[in-house]
Amino acid sequence: MEKLRKSLTGFVVPLLSILLAFVIGAIIMAAMGSNPATALGALFQGAFGTAASVGTTLNKAVPLIFTSLCACFAYKCGVFNLGGEGQFLFGATAAFCTVHCLGLTGFPGMLAAMLVGTLAGGVWGMIPGILKITRGLNEMIISIMLNYVATLFMGVIYTNWIRDVTVPQTPSIDGSLKLSRVIPSMRFTWAFVIALLVGVLLYYFLYWTAPGFKLRAVGLNMTASRFDGFPVNRYILISFIVSGAIAGLGGASDLLGTQYRLINGYGAGYGFDGVAMALIGQLHPLATIVVAIFFAALRVGSTSMQVATGVPTSVSDIIQALVIVFSVAGMALTKLPEFEAFRLRVFQKKGKEGQKA
Amino acid sequence: MNGAFVSSIILATVRMAVPLLFIAMAELYSERAGMVNIGLEGLAAVGALGGFMLAFTTGNVWLGILCGALAGALVNMVYAFATITLCANHTVYGMAVNLLAPALASFIYRVYFGTGSSLMQITLMPGVGIPVLKDIPFVGPLLFDQTPMVYLAFALVIFTMIFFNKSKAGLNYKAVGEHPKAAATLGINVIGVKYLSCLICGALAGMGGAYLTTCYSTTYTEGIVSGRGFIALAAVIFGRWTGGGVLVACLFFGLCDALQIRLQVTNVGVPYQFFQMIPYIATVLVLTLVGSKKSGPKANGLPYRKEER
Amino acid sequence: MEELLRMEHISKRFGSFYANRDVCLTVNRGEVLTLLGENGAGKSTLMNILIGLYQPTEGKIFLNGQEVRIDSPSQAVKLGIGMVHQHFMLVEAMTVFENIILGDKNSKGLFVDREARKSEILALSQRYGLDVELDKLITDISVGAQQRVEILKALYHGADLLILDEPSAALTDIEVEGLFAIMHKLVDEGKSIIFISHKMREVLHISDRITILRAGEVVTTVPCEETDGQKLANLMIGRELSGSQYEKKEARGETVLKMEGVKYHEGSKHNGLAGVSMEIRPGEIVGIAGVDGNGQTQLAQIVTGVIAPEAGSLFLKERSVSLYDPSAFIEEGVSHVPEDRNLQGLIGDMSIADNLVLKSIGSDAFSLGKGLLLKKRAINAHAEKMVEKYDVRCTSTGQEVRSLSGGNQQKVILARELESQPKLLVAVHPTRGLDIGATRFVHDQMIDARERGVGILLISADFDEVLEMSDRILVMFEGQIMGEFSGKNPPIEEISLAMTGK
Repeated sequence: MEKLRKSLTGFVVPLLSILLAFVIGAIIMAAMGSNPATALGALFQGAFGTAASVGTTLNKAVPLIFTSLCACFAYKCGVFNLGGEGQFLFGATAAFCTVHCLGLTGFPGMLAAMLVGTLAGGVWGMIPGILKITRGLNEMIISIMLNYVATLFMGVIYTNWIRDVTVPQTPSIDGSLKLSRVIPSMRFTWAFVIALLVGVLLYYFLYWTAPGFKLRAVGLNMTASRFDGFPVNRYILISFIVSGAIAGLGGASDLLGTQYRLINGYGAGYGFDGVAMALIGQLHPLATIVVAIFFAALRVGSTSMQVATGVPTSVSDIIQALVIVFSVAGMALTKLPEFEAFRLRVFQKKGKEGQKA
Repeated sequence: MNGAFVSSIILATVRMAVPLLFIAMAELYSERAGMVNIGLEGLAAVGALGGFMLAFTTGNVWLGILCGALAGALVNMVYAFATITLCANHTVYGMAVNLLAPALASFIYRVYFGTGSSLMQITLMPGVGIPVLKDIPFVGPLLFDQTPMVYLAFALVIFTMIFFNKSKAGLNYKAVGEHPKAAATLGINVIGVKYLSCLICGALAGMGGAYLTTCYSTTYTEGIVSGRGFIALAAVIFGRWTGGGVLVACLFFGLCDALQIRLQVTNVGVPYQFFQMIPYIATVLVLTLVGSKKSGPKANGLPYRKEER
Repeated sequence: MEELLRMEHISKRFGSFYANRDVCLTVNRGEVLTLLGENGAGKSTLMNILIGLYQPTEGKIFLNGQEVRIDSPSQAVKLGIGMVHQHFMLVEAMTVFENIILGDKNSKGLFVDREARKSEILALSQRYGLDVELDKLITDISVGAQQRVEILKALYHGADLLILDEPSAALTDIEVEGLFAIMHKLVDEGKSIIFISHKMREVLHISDRITILRAGEVVTTVPCEETDGQKLANLMIGRELSGSQYEKKEARGETVLKMEGVKYHEGSKHNGLAGVSMEIRPGEIVGIAGVDGNGQTQLAQIVTGVIAPEAGSLFLKERSVSLYDPSAFIEEGVSHVPEDRNLQGLIGDMSIADNLVLKSIGSDAFSLGKGLLLKKRAINAHAEKMVEKYDVRCTSTGQEVRSLSGGNQQKVILARELESQPKLLVAVHPTRGLDIGATRFVHDQMIDARERGVGILLISADFDEVLEMSDRILVMFEGQIMGEFSGKNPPIEEISLAMTGK
């Protein structure tokens, strides 16, 4: 009963938020003179209409899944890692440089790229972690600053050091390194499978192992955890490193899966989007994956929508932002004592009626 | 090092510090009432767009600044409602603002100006020299021959210092951030002050954004705020939650920015991105040196409920 | 005598729970009215209604014969009602002066006229003998001085009726005497005081009339001279108070805990230890008596490994401790019922079941392969058993601990700490804020544990609790042990004196 209630509110709030965001999106579309039904239909068609578009959506979801799992894992330990973008890009950049400079190809090359990407992301995530536990610094500011540094560092690579002759971008990775499609008729690659695996692994770790249990305890109440003998600082540092490593692996996977080269604007906004998706998914790794796929669908579909109906893609951005605005407010609302009293009143009435019948 | 070099650096420092100063002051007013707002980046973005739009349409930069302030304040009311009335987590909601505000800004830009690639530009706010003072050799042109927004920024710092240290209202305002319950028992309207702080924060952050499009760059581009909202957070910590301290912090970050631009010009062989990293790395280093262990308003970031039980 | 305040049929309901029901009381000019009642009797709620923090569900309030509505704290201030809260409402980062003038509506102008305000405050402080240093920060002055600031603040804002909520709880005896002198002076000058306390001696000493509250309702109001401590206690508790109901024991054998000359922040009178030595043997309860904030918190955290002493040595089961780390202490069989159950003891957002296995999650009973796979069924079965055994009232074991009442939360902690088969149990304020039934249950469980041979260190600011439970009593004052007394027929007068440092 208790569990049912909790999971109900857990589902209802995000679903209502999504609905509300779409209603407002529809109003905006109507105000711009388009038919919302046609536009939303085009959006859905673009995201899920054909096998090919489903594949595109899933590919688009890969980086989002990784950065949202990155945010989710850190937040589970009670720290805000807003550096998902930097860790993602640092992972991708390190992976690219490794295979490019060492001339690695084929399966060993893939393996090396993923390994290096994971390590690089972990190192980039470790910095705010160390500064937090040794100097008490605000991890959010530090991790955001490191986002800019990582983005600029990637810029150094594609504009100067490994530049593709004329345009400011790197050459593509070797063809033998590109991840193949899982099902030939659909476009999504093994990167998506890796993302799913990471999500399942996180779920298992957080909810089915003792260290995961303790990590969640630390995230919910650090003082009590310290009194209970958990090494709080160690957990915080580990959560930063693992969180960064997830994003780094994401960078490497996305590079091998669909991106292939470093280019201006790559990865922009992935970190914050990840935090938003983790929050909408109520910090549950599996729910977070679903949310990430949903967001990817909105993005892929919005392009078709623009082509078909002329409604700009930024309407889709607004819908996405509204989902987070509403769902976070909604979750806060359900925790208010006034809301609890209201809920009890409604439910108790129902209970009494049930008894009569 | 010659005089011209030094004065050009100082000039650039002031130019770089002013938008940051507005945004950091916004956060100062917010945190002094216990409201940690990490949505500054987004607030400044809508401010930048609002400022640009009105300045472009009317040709009056001052109307642009006003519109930027209004836009920032308006968007920040979403944050205020969620965090004050619904008791949502400040950080989480600040993030939500950071996603919503830029999306809103770019949508409005596209609807208003169309998706065409023609570059929209406005004339920047002209400098206004202060008679007599601007004729002081060396210092005069640097400090007293700027745009009115620069004077406004410095006036804001002085006002803030007087407000928090000398005035009754400022004392009451600070009490809300330190111990809201105590403030409430003394008849201070805690909820009201918190909402007011969000209005001020939104307006100032919006002005900081509007400065970028009316006094700094002639056009609006996505990402024009480029992390100033987050550096401003660091500036408040570095400035120890005081008006004067924030000024010093912003001048320091402005100097970093001024230096990096100068270094880009003089060191063409080195990838320019390395110099662009300087302000961000400086932020990390400064915070590491200063530390941020438990200082600042005591009830910062905590929800306040009227009838607690 | 002239009537100042009359409260008529006041009720306050939270959900379905009545914190106050049909309360009537009057306060006359120039008198001290005491509100007497146990924790949770509804004293604080009633006073929060009076100062406008809560709105009564029913009832009327009359001031000087006029009906008034007190819908906000500022309205209360305007009406001349001031309260000194048990937890002081002072802004620590500000000076004494700034705290007093906060929210000032008496003076005009935008800016603070420091000189004028200071002379006003000094005049007030001289008139009532409230000695304060205006330019010091709140953090830099003693608890007694903070209290004087609170009183001065209320008077500065024009209070005619002062509410003092357990003002003596954190004071030493000398400071309490000073407080009483101030109260006499206030009353002589025509102010009225509502004094909230449950310390009989003080109540009988200072009150004109006493209103007794029990379970949110007024039991009766009696003039001070017509009653005595025993009568009051009976009225307050609703039953005859007898001596300790538990048998006192004398323990022998090896110690489970031995401290020798333990020091921590020695210079700090209120938050340090200045050379503490003690022994605890299996099967005895050693009670620490003393006013809150004399080093008890630090003592508890050292014997549970949360903080490390700066000098001296500690022996667990006769073995010297070198590593101060809670997990090492837990391994050695030290259990801890911490001071603040929500902050230090429980993970509020986790379920009852999860909180019960918090310290043993990695054990073979609850996981496979040293924590690689949790046995959720075993965890739930354990929770069902514990909820039954410790009488935790809940809807299910999956319920979040946050939503339990204080008493049930404490039972969850007790279940976790006692089921680990400890050698030493450190219990800090184990019944603070609990109702009589829950208190009784906690006490019974502790006695059972003692019978099983657990050594128990009981730290409590509730003197009656220490007397009731302890086999031996140690008195703490300013970080030192002032004396040791047997729990059998303890010399109460002597112990009270020792608590004040004599």
